[in-house]
Amino acid sequence: MIDEKLAEGLKERAQSGDIAVLRSAELKSLYDQLKTLPPEQRKDFGQTVNALKNELEALLANHQDAAEQLTPIDVTSPQDINAAKPGHLPAAVGSMHPLMSDQAQLLDIFARMGFSALESRQIDDDYHMFTSLNFPEGHPARDDYDTFMTEEGLIAPAHTSTMQNRILSANKHLLERGDPIAYVIPGRVFRNEDVDPTHEHTLSQIEGIYVDKGIHAGHLLATLKAFLQEYYQKDIDIKTQPFYFPFTEPSFEVNMSCPFCDKAGCNVCGYAGWIEILGCGMIHPNVLKMAGIDPEIYTGFAWGVGTMRLTMMKHGIEDVRLFQSARLDFLRQFS
Amino acid sequence: MKASVNWLKEYTDIDISASELTAKIGAQLGAVEEVIDLGEKYQGIIIAKVISCEKHPNADKLSLCKIDDGGAAKDAARDENGHIQVVCGAPNIREGLLVAWLPPGTTVPATADKDPLVLEAREIRGEASNGMLASPSELALSDDHSGILELPEGMPGEDFAEKFGLDDYIIDIENKMFTHRPDLFGILGIAREIAGIQQKPFVSPDWYVQNPEFPGIEAEELKLTVKNELTKLVPRFSAITMSNITVRPSPLWLQILLSKLGMKPINNIVDYTNYFMYLTAQPLHAYDYDKVKERSESGAAMVIRKPHKGEKIKLLNGKEIEPRSEAIMIATDKEAIGIGGVMGGSDTEVDEHTANIILECANFDMYSIRRTAMEHGLFTDAVTRFTKGQSPLQNGAVLAKIVQEIRDNAGGKVASKFNDNHEKEFGEPSVQHIEPDFINKRLGLDLDIGEMQNLLENVEFRVSVGEDLEVGNPFWRTDIEIAEDIVEEIGRLQGYDYLPLDLPKRMIMPVRTNDLLALKHQLRSTLAKAGANEALTYSFVHGNLFDKAGQDKKQAFKIANALSPDLQYYRLSLTPSLLDKVHLNVKAGYDEFALFEIGKVHGKSEFADDKLPKELERVALVYANKSIAGDAAYYKAQKLMGSLLYQKFAGMRLVPLAGSEPINHVMFTQMIAPYDPARSALVYDFEKLLGVIGEFKPPVRSKLKLPVRTAGFELFLQPMLKPRLDSYSPLSRYPSTDQDISLRTDRNIPFADILNALDTALRSSSPEDIEFNTRCIDIFSNDETAKHTTFRITVFSRQRTLTTQIVTSLLAETASKLKQAIDAERI
Repeated sequence: MIDEKLAEGLKERAQSGDIAVLRSAELKSLYDQLKTLPPEQRKDFGQTVNALKNELEALLANHQDAAEQLTPIDVTSPQDINAAKPGHLPAAVGSMHPLMSDQAQLLDIFARMGFSALESRQIDDDYHMFTSLNFPEGHPARDDYDTFMTEEGLIAPAHTSTMQNRILSANKHLLERGDPIAYVIPGRVFRNEDVDPTHEHTLSQIEGIYVDKGIHAGHLLATLKAFLQEYYQKDIDIKTQPFYFPFTEPSFEVNMSCPFCDKAGCNVCGYAGWIEILGCGMIHPNVLKMAGIDPEIYTGFAWGVGTMRLTMMKHGIEDVRLFQSARLDFLRQFS
Repeated sequence: MKASVNWLKEYTDIDISASELTAKIGAQLGAVEEVIDLGEKYQGIIIAKVISCEKHPNADKLSLCKIDDGGAAKDAARDENGHIQVVCGAPNIREGLLVAWLPPGTTVPATADKDPLVLEAREIRGEASNGMLASPSELALSDDHSGILELPEGMPGEDFAEKFGLDDYIIDIENKMFTHRPDLFGILGIAREIAGIQQKPFVSPDWYVQNPEFPGIEAEELKLTVKNELTKLVPRFSAITMSNITVRPSPLWLQILLSKLGMKPINNIVDYTNYFMYLTAQPLHAYDYDKVKERSESGAAMVIRKPHKGEKIKLLNGKEIEPRSEAIMIATDKEAIGIGGVMGGSDTEVDEHTANIILECANFDMYSIRRTAMEHGLFTDAVTRFTKGQSPLQNGAVLAKIVQEIRDNAGGKVASKFNDNHEKEFGEPSVQHIEPDFINKRLGLDLDIGEMQNLLENVEFRVSVGEDLEVGNPFWRTDIEIAEDIVEEIGRLQGYDYLPLDLPKRMIMPVRTNDLLALKHQLRSTLAKAGANEALTYSFVHGNLFDKAGQDKKQAFKIANALSPDLQYYRLSLTPSLLDKVHLNVKAGYDEFALFEIGKVHGKSEFADDKLPKELERVALVYANKSIAGDAAYYKAQKLMGSLLYQKFAGMRLVPLAGSEPINHVMFTQMIAPYDPARSALVYDFEKLLGVIGEFKPPVRSKLKLPVRTAGFELFLQPMLKPRLDSYSPLSRYPSTDQDISLRTDRNIPFADILNALDTALRSSSPEDIEFNTRCIDIFSNDETAKHTTFRITVFSRQRTLTTQIVTSLLAETASKLKQAIDAERI
């Protein structure tokens, strides 16, 4: 049977919180001993050793509440002493975040349509967030109520448009050599509001901008329609509603025919047959001017689409808060 | 903005159905939030006359009424005279009244939206009662349920809804569509647009566009002095006094009109100010003249000024506030009586005793009004309108019109001259010259100049056609500034559905990919394949997460205005956000898992050349295992990290955090703060620092309720952006030989040292052409002082076949060198 002294020693170590006791040579020796025993004794002995091991674990668990300092380990080693080589977790449980895999799909479509991509910033200044986008002083969106601001007056951008001026300024040489500026801007945006199943303060968006000679509002709508048809792999109708953004003129809200019921009415579109999907417009001449582009020669369009909405509709996700909950119940459904 | 279709029809023809109109508004004016069919809500209600009214035999407070409905109700039970019996509990019920009768089968309008109550014929205390006689509250016209609604006019049998304008549709258009359109907060403006989008000309009523005429003083003069100290913020302040007013409830049609649009009828004076505000978008305010005079030093004096220090004012909503120092105060020469453009004061309010009034029609700076409204949370109908930038040019017209209306309907007399204060003369609104081609090019349309002229003239732009289009703004269109604004007008009035859907043409140059986005995608794909789950957590964290993770919140950007305490700071690193999510998943029954996140972090110490904070790109992973038995979690994290790094870096090495040279870099210090030095390592590629890996300090573990077996890493993405290491080497044509070597060393010699010593010894023991691959296959220890590390060594040459002898002797020599170098015993 088990040497009493050895067992007591192990228990003492467990009581003191020495996690290494479970991998100790002493405990291992008991398991080794098991192999050498005649078969008829193995069962009893095995049970005793397992009982001891369980007791050690229980002692350690008790101790754990206090979270004591663990003994140093050899961090240069690829594996622990007396342990097997660590492996990966089962590949089947791994997952990419649905917003990120969808983002990749969207960026791929836009890349095929000729758009480069650049990620949006998560902290920015007033100039890029507002001034360069032709927000008149005192515009509602500048108010504290909508936008997170740091004590220094920096801004958590409320839209990916915060990148427009940078991209336009940095790429105007393309226009001069006769190429368009065509960019999509994925990123996180922030709205200072309370969260509930349909509202988030941290959202994901993809912005698009396109500037060239002779670009008109019909180009904008055709581009968006082509994108939606590619994304949903079917014919989509679009219709517009006039809207107001300071940085586009004219501005539109685009509705698409519901891709899930083809206008027949379903719970995704609220039985309307149409879904409000994005905001867009022709880039305001002041925005072009501020980026050093002559609006008399060049015109362009821009849009912003909330990608959480797309992903929610695609999978039937019921609560927008799940995206950033880090709950495995949610994440592993996308394994 | 709610619009009544009946009211709109007073100003423009609408010959399309409500649903067609709604669709057109949505496509050419702004998104429609809701359409309310009042006709449906008030369907079946009949005007009836009370013929007789007796006490109910079995109830003290009820009356037994016979009503005459002109025979309108089809199925109602009638007596021999054709009258209908209804039991009524209202105190004001009496013979001869005209009432709104809800026959059996109708729905009580007040209940229509939630839990519809459909009336039926039934007995009340033994007497038959057919339907009900309705109070204003049951009719959803006001909160008044003190008695039944007494109708001022009507014939028994007439349709109640039709008679009182309730056979109407209310179209609610989203306000945010009209952020730049001051005129669309009035029925007149919406009617004009509806004409325009139906391609019909609109003509404003004469009183709105012609020079206002005020009657002379008609009674004893009620003098008013006005002093405007804020001419910048209040470009125009017009007022007039009226005497001999009879304050009473408004006529029923007006009460009903205001109710339909969601406003509360108060009294005739206040209701008229609201009516004209809703019609013209120009807010108005009425003061009790005598109360103003009482509160003035000399006569009735109005002063427009900033608040005095510490000055407070009691407002019409019953609240007392201390206005912000830059607010626009309306005051007498002694005390404040209102916040200009936002809300009036309760001390000078018009009530049932008011006989004399001051009517104010002013223009205020939209930004100042917005800031005051925001700061004090005062969102009134006046604020909604003034914050859109109303034109000062309509003040006279609107004031003249309301004066006329009050004279005609509330018995008032004009008691002062038109007191009009403005510093500058208001010039003609601006005129633009625009090439038709400019407009067509931006819309992709091919309209001729005459078509453009028509579209604009329909909504009262002044247009002349010459070489180009000369467009003069009507005074209410303060939003039109540039040619693109006219492009929008024409596109919208024409209808965007007519735009040609052409894709832009471009060169077939390939699109350059974004390295950072590509890297991120590759990382998430690799880690997901290794069984980890990608999480997204907020970029902002609660201050106490820094405390739990041992980080210094002074290094983090603090959010000054977050609604939620969970969002106080920009995070300093990703690891704490992930650690924060471990416990909830363990509790949910996940025994072993790895969460990772790819994201940006920010700190006050890191600014880039553009004076903006640097965005530090990171990947972090946290591995947790609920079971306490097993090897240290660290090694699992290391394995997962290896999946990212071994394919990128040839010179990866791990340096124990304990005893390593301190790195004086704020964001790095913050990143490693939660990591336990005794069980963590810095990660390097040769000399380049890549990040940190390890387990967590005991306080971090206990505060975040982490399993003992929790480990993680956080790495910089920047160094990974380099092109992928090309690690291919041509295959050897000669066979290789595997041999194991098991080394017994002091337990405390780090593995890296043993491996280094082994490499060095192998190299120095072999001729140039011999190459090795070594990998550890086991580490074993059965005492406190020593351990056995076993390596499998693959030996090969690209020039010859190596015999077993060569390899064996090579390893023997290696072993003896290792004995010298690290006192290792070959077992």
